[in-house]
Formats: sequence, structure tokens, C-alpha cells
Amino acid sequence: MSLINRIFENNISKNIAATLGAFITTISLTVCITLLWPFGDVVEQIFAGATFFFVFWASLFYWAILAENGAWAWIRMLIILLPALAVITISFLLKSQTQ
Amino acid sequence: MEQHTHKRLYSAHAWVGIISGILLFIVTFSGIPALFDHEIEYWQYPGYSEQHRSEVKQQPFNLERTLQASKDLGFQHDNFFIQPANEINNHVILAHFEKGKEPDIRYLNASSYQQFNASPSELNHLLAHLHTDLHLPNPWGRYLVGLSGMAMLLAIIAGIFIHIKWRKEFVMLRPKRSWRLLLTDQHKLLGLWSLPFTFILAFTGTILGLLGLISPILALAAFNGDVEKATVAVLGPTAEVTGEYSPVYPLNKLSERLTIDLPDTSVEFIQVSGLNIIAQEDTNTVSAKEEKELVTDIGGIIKFSGYHNNKLSNLETVTYSLSTGERIHQGSFIGKGAFQRIFAAVTPLHYVLFGNTWLKVFYALSALAACGLILTGNMLWLHRRGHGAQHWLSKSTLGICGGLVVATSITFAASQISYAFKFSTESGLHHLSEEVVFWSSWGLMILAPYFIKDSFKLSHYFLRLTSLGLIFTLIADGLFNQRWIGITQGWVLNIQMGILFSALLFIYLDWKLPNSIKPKSK
Repeated sequence: MSLINRIFENNISKNIAATLGAFITTISLTVCITLLWPFGDVVEQIFAGATFFFVFWASLFYWAILAENGAWAWIRMLIILLPALAVITISFLLKSQTQ
Repeated sequence: MEQHTHKRLYSAHAWVGIISGILLFIVTFSGIPALFDHEIEYWQYPGYSEQHRSEVKQQPFNLERTLQASKDLGFQHDNFFIQPANEINNHVILAHFEKGKEPDIRYLNASSYQQFNASPSELNHLLAHLHTDLHLPNPWGRYLVGLSGMAMLLAIIAGIFIHIKWRKEFVMLRPKRSWRLLLTDQHKLLGLWSLPFTFILAFTGTILGLLGLISPILALAAFNGDVEKATVAVLGPTAEVTGEYSPVYPLNKLSERLTIDLPDTSVEFIQVSGLNIIAQEDTNTVSAKEEKELVTDIGGIIKFSGYHNNKLSNLETVTYSLSTGERIHQGSFIGKGAFQRIFAAVTPLHYVLFGNTWLKVFYALSALAACGLILTGNMLWLHRRGHGAQHWLSKSTLGICGGLVVATSITFAASQISYAFKFSTESGLHHLSEEVVFWSSWGLMILAPYFIKDSFKLSHYFLRLTSLGLIFTLIADGLFNQRWIGITQGWVLNIQMGILFSALLFIYLDWKLPNSIKPKSK
């Protein structure tokens, strides 16, 4: 147990959360924004998603970096990632039902 | 700000800078010639400026005459691009690209519509391609450039938060104190003064570099993964080949309609898709061969793209049917949603496709400041950890970064000296000599720190070599092309003055750079 804790809590884990974790979370958030953006047409939705991609990535990177340890960095990413994935799944399900 | 937050941000700033620093220097420094891509292209080949000397009076762009000329030259392609003359060049470019084949590119004088030889030099492409793709296979080089832009953005964000005494740091330079303090002050000064520009360059560069990577993600969300559908929604329709042909709508009438459909816009590119040239049925006689007719597939299109003269989000397009002249798509970001306008402003903001030449010069100076920022950042990191000139990172920084500057200047000189050998464009030897000189001189400079141990001495050598290379460029330009400063004019003179200013700047840096680290003052 302590080995697993050590793996998750060290700096390498935090850096992976900040780069890879933040990247994956950014992708899911971008898809979310593109699906749900309420203003303008579909082209505006695409560009909103594309602009927010970089804002999300930078913000999530530093949110993970500023965490106490690796485990907290991953928790922070998952706090965003899981709801985003849920929203994407529901949106796609609703979309497929309406088509 | 809490101390541990400050410490973590500081650490992130330093590590992001160290990991990406050298790559970032390559991208940033090569961005300076890339910024002046068209100007350098015009200067590097005397044949281009000679098009201005043509005795034929300059006339407005004539699309029908261009296509007639292309037909006469045997430039027969269904899909091709036309680049009309602009404020720098007085020539028209016809270009056809096909995957896996050499591009077919022709150059016509914009007044007489006569073909002239293409440039044997590709100096501007050599440097611009380094900035956009690092000469790596597509799209990996582009992604790497985008990632380096992202690293720059992250380093800037942390840098803003950790420098809390920024008012004081705006003007603080202590040249007579320790080497480390001098580096620290220079790093902060360069960073603060160039902050708005480096931020814009990093943000827009990241978008341009990584757009290809995120496009499928966006297409997934908006078009169920159909990238082509997303592309059509953003950029407009493409030609749909039907195999049925009809005569072409009078093209000069379309050109005239541009003043209404694209007001205040300078047309930069024309894309023609579906155009065909067919011979008369009796192809045995010479006259029938000459009487080739322009026809179009009924799905053929012509798309005009240009930049609006008064807007920042300035990319404007209009697409017409080649057979009926009907307007089938208009792409404009004016009056569109905020994010469309932000995105449309990315390319103009990155490559200064607005404002005037002085703004470009200002961008170039900011990019130069960013180069200094990267170098002082690496040196500070090494110095704070007690690493000397023998550390591999110190040697790599000096060899790769300093070497790129030297190689660029030597290649400028080599490009002009190559005109003495009068290589033909077809032989490709002129461009080959540029490539060989660039890569071999850069390679040699990368190895130099392993042979010359004194990094200060080597830095002086690099600075002197760079300024010498630039001065030789001007001398070679005068000797082999009879273009001495003073008798030249227009863009040729502007570029020559830029080269002269750069040479003087490197001489000044050589003069100001110390010969060794001064001991700490008490």
C-alpha cells in the first residue's frame, strides 16, 4: 500500500498529471464546450472549443503543478475529467436519439 | 501569494524553460526571417526586382490574361493556385501541387504576362520551414513547434506570477554587480518589456502549431468526427467533379464583382478547381492545336482569398461557380461571433498581416528580446546550480543557439556568393549550396564548444562571425548582382538596411559582452 501511495504522491506522478492528465482533461473539456456552447452557429462552437483548448490546458497544468503532491494533482484532474466525460456521454446519447 | 505556491510556480517556470529552451530558441530566432519571408524572397533573387524595371506600364491584375498565358505555357492542371502581384512583388505565380510529385510553379511578369525564370535561391523557404516545421516530416514538426509555443506560454504565465516586484524590475539593471545579478536583471528586463508581444506570439504560435492536432477533436464534437464536413463548414465548399463540361463564365467579370463582394480587400490567392483545357476536335492542324478552349467541369469553382485592409480578423474569401459565375460561398469573419473573430486574428497577429513594415520591425525586435530571454534563462539556471561552461546544457545552448545565428548569417552570404557561379534554377545547385552551407555550418558550431572550452571567447567568435557573414552578404550582393547600398531602392534597399543594422547590432553585442565573469563586488 505504501508503495502505491509513494508512486502516486511523488513529483513524477505530479508532473505526469500536469502534462498527460491535464491534456486528456483538456480534450474532454474542449469536446464539452464544443457540444454545449450556447451562442452562435456550429462554426462558432468549433472556434469556441479551439480557443478554450489552450486556456484549459494552461490552467489545468498549473492547477496540477500547484497541488500538494501527485495524488492530489490526479484528484484535481479527475474532479474535472469525470463530470466532463459524463456530459459528453449524455450529449452523444441524446444526439443519437434525436437523429 | 503563499510561499510554497511561489516556490512551485518558480520551479515550474525554471523547468519548463530549461526543457523547452533550446527548441524554443530555434523556433523564435527562425521566426525573425520567417516574418520577412516575402521581403527576403524578393531580395534574394535579382530577377524579381527586375520585373519592376519592365518597360511595360503596370496594369491591374487581369485574370483572363493570366489563364490565357498559363494555357500558352502548357500549364494544364485541373486544380491550381494563382498569386497575383502585391505591394512587394510585380509578378504572378501559378502553382499546382500534387501529393508525391514535384510542384509545378511558374512565374509571370505582372505587366507583360511573360514567363521568367524562377528563383534559384530558396533561402527564405529554408529559414521559414525551420520556423514552421523544423524541417521535420509533416505534421510532426508542426506539432513540435506548437508544443514549444505552449511551453513558452506556460513559462510566461508562471513568470508573470513569480515576478511580483515588476514595477521595480522594469528599469533595474545592475551591470557592475555580479554576473548572476546581471543575468537576472537582463532576464527580467527583456521579459517585462517584451511581455505583450511574446505572449501574443506564443499564444498564436501554439494555435497555429497545434490546430491540426485539435481539429479532429473539434470535428468529433461538432460533426461526429467528419473532418471534411468541418473543413467545408469553416472554409467553404470544394469542387465536385461531375465529368460534364461547359464554357467558363467570363473571369474578368468575376474580378470586377470582387469590388462589391470583397470590398477593401487585397486578393492574395485565387484557387481554381475543375478548370480544363480542351483542344478542338480536329487536332491535326497547327491552328486547331493553338485554338484550345478553356472549359470547366460544371462543378468547378474559383475561390478568391484576401486580407481586409481595415480589420484585424481580416481573412476574407468568396467562391464562385466557374460555369455560371454564381456566388456559392462567402467567408468573412467580420460581424461574426467573438471566437470566430479571435481565431481569424491568429494568423494576422502572428505574421503581422496588418499594420505596416515598422510594426514588423517591432515584432522582430521583440522576437530578438525573446531569444535573449531564453538564453539568459538557461544561463541563470546553470549558474544558480553552480554548473560551468563544461556542463552539457551550457555547451548545447551555446552550440545550438549561437550556432543557428552564425549559420543563418553565413547562409545569407553563401546565397549571394552562389550567384557568382550562375547556377541555373533547374539544376537546383544554388539551393543545394544554401542547404549544405546552412546545415554544415550549424553542425560545426554545435561541435565548437567541445573544442573551444572558453565559452566567453567562443561567444565573441560567434558574434564576430555573424556580423562578418552579414557584411559579406552585402558585399557579395554588390559584387555579383551590382546591387550596392545607395544605388538600390524599394524593398531591396529595405532588406539591405535590415542586414546592415543586424551586422551593427552583433558588433555592438560583441563589444559589450565581457571576456570573463567578473568577481563579485563587495
